[in-house]
Amino acid sequence: MTIKEQLIENAKQGKVLAHKCTSCGLLHLSTVYFCQKCGSKGFEDAILDGTGSVATYTIITVAPAGFEKYTPYAFVVLQLDNTDLRISGFMAGIATPADLPVGTRAKITGFDERGIIIEKQ
Amino acid sequence: MEKVCVLGAGSTKYGKLADSIADITTQASISAIESAGIDPKEIKAGYISNVFGVADKQVHLGPVLMSNLGISDKPSLSIESACGSGSVAFREAFANVAAGFYDCLVVTGVEKVTHTGTEWTTTYFAYCSDFFYEGQAGASFPGLFASMARAYLTEFNTTEEDFARVAVKNHNNGLLNPKAHLQKKITIDDVMNSAVVASPLKLYDCCPFSDGASSVVLCSEKFAKEHGNDYIEVIGSGRGGSPAALQGREHMTTIPSTKIASEAAYKMAGITAKDVNFAEVHDCFTIAEIVDTEDLGFFEKGKGVQAVREGRTNLNSDISINPSGGLKSKGHPIGATGIGQVVEVFDQLTGKAGARTVKDAKIGLTHNFGATGASCAVHVFQSV
Repeated sequence: MTIKEQLIENAKQGKVLAHKCTSCGLLHLSTVYFCQKCGSKGFEDAILDGTGSVATYTIITVAPAGFEKYTPYAFVVLQLDNTDLRISGFMAGIATPADLPVGTRAKITGFDERGIIIEKQ
Repeated sequence: MEKVCVLGAGSTKYGKLADSIADITTQASISAIESAGIDPKEIKAGYISNVFGVADKQVHLGPVLMSNLGISDKPSLSIESACGSGSVAFREAFANVAAGFYDCLVVTGVEKVTHTGTEWTTTYFAYCSDFFYEGQAGASFPGLFASMARAYLTEFNTTEEDFARVAVKNHNNGLLNPKAHLQKKITIDDVMNSAVVASPLKLYDCCPFSDGASSVVLCSEKFAKEHGNDYIEVIGSGRGGSPAALQGREHMTTIPSTKIASEAAYKMAGITAKDVNFAEVHDCFTIAEIVDTEDLGFFEKGKGVQAVREGRTNLNSDISINPSGGLKSKGHPIGATGIGQVVEVFDQLTGKAGARTVKDAKIGLTHNFGATGASCAVHVFQSV
């Protein structure tokens, strides 16, 4: 499996496949191949819980092709628990900002044609 | 390094244009060449910036332009860097003149997309994001900037009305620009009552999809002096990068590439942000202009909205931001935008800006980025 396929399989299990630099310890999303801080190529897998809080989001009403049937929906940037990492995804059923204050607890629940799926906890 | 000058500049009108992408590329280039007062045969190479030529059945625009100018033997190339294509092409052209490879170039940016409709453009523009994480999850470009806007509203003492003030100001400036796409006076209420595109951004927080082409003639100082027409000098050039996806940025209310590019440009020019009289900044959405003016060093982080509230960015105030009307009102033909900004600076510093003239301006700045600022170029210009 490619790294992206592994990332997708982990997302389907509610997890995030991350890469931890074996030189300096900095955590990256697994689609990064060289450490942003020290340049090292050595990484070890770190499987994180896909839980966290909403760092920011938007509610899309004018959608790209293929997403019209889902409007209104949210695009969410999720701050993962106990790390500095964030990851983005799709959240269904959000109509107004009152439905999703910044800081709302949320988790990754899957992956499909809408990318990484995030739901409120 | 050779001193580099802008000797001529011209644009088509921005908006919904009937002519083909090849035709508007040629029209803008001819207007720049005529403005420079040179013969096309003096041009040594062509630089084209364009993103979606495929939408109008013409990529590889360079040789088409050079052939139309009667200089088909001259080399050309196309550069794509999303909405920042124009400034990146300008930078590459600048570097080649500075290095002495060429003494005279034409740099032309173009886009022709409005005939494809809102859904096509929304969809294809999303391909400029980090698609696996963003476009694939249904993020449109308004949606990505709306995510920055939500972060800004959460972090700083700001309201959606503050964002609306940016749109009102830029429409006021655009009313004075005969080539602007949206020549319409608007009020804060108009913005607030316009349809939500991606919360908290509404239709009037967003720049339009535009067609248009802009072109400049770039040359060495020696070439400029020998040709007699008014010219301006490029005194600073900087580029920078940011994580491609918003999720990778330390702060979602800062665009790192803007800071990196502007610091490099200021250093080369030997100036600070305080020396800039006016700036054409990348206001694809109202929130972007606020973030830009902070990242460029004009205002402290979080204070950009206060500056807008106090009118300090209005035409002929503390620092005139987007005297042309900006992307918001002048329009955003994405491959042309970065060159269009240089056209505005040229017009301002050579006394051709008419009713929107920034009084006593000596130093102008252009700031243009791709996508949510993943790539960026900043240039500083000085009147001669």
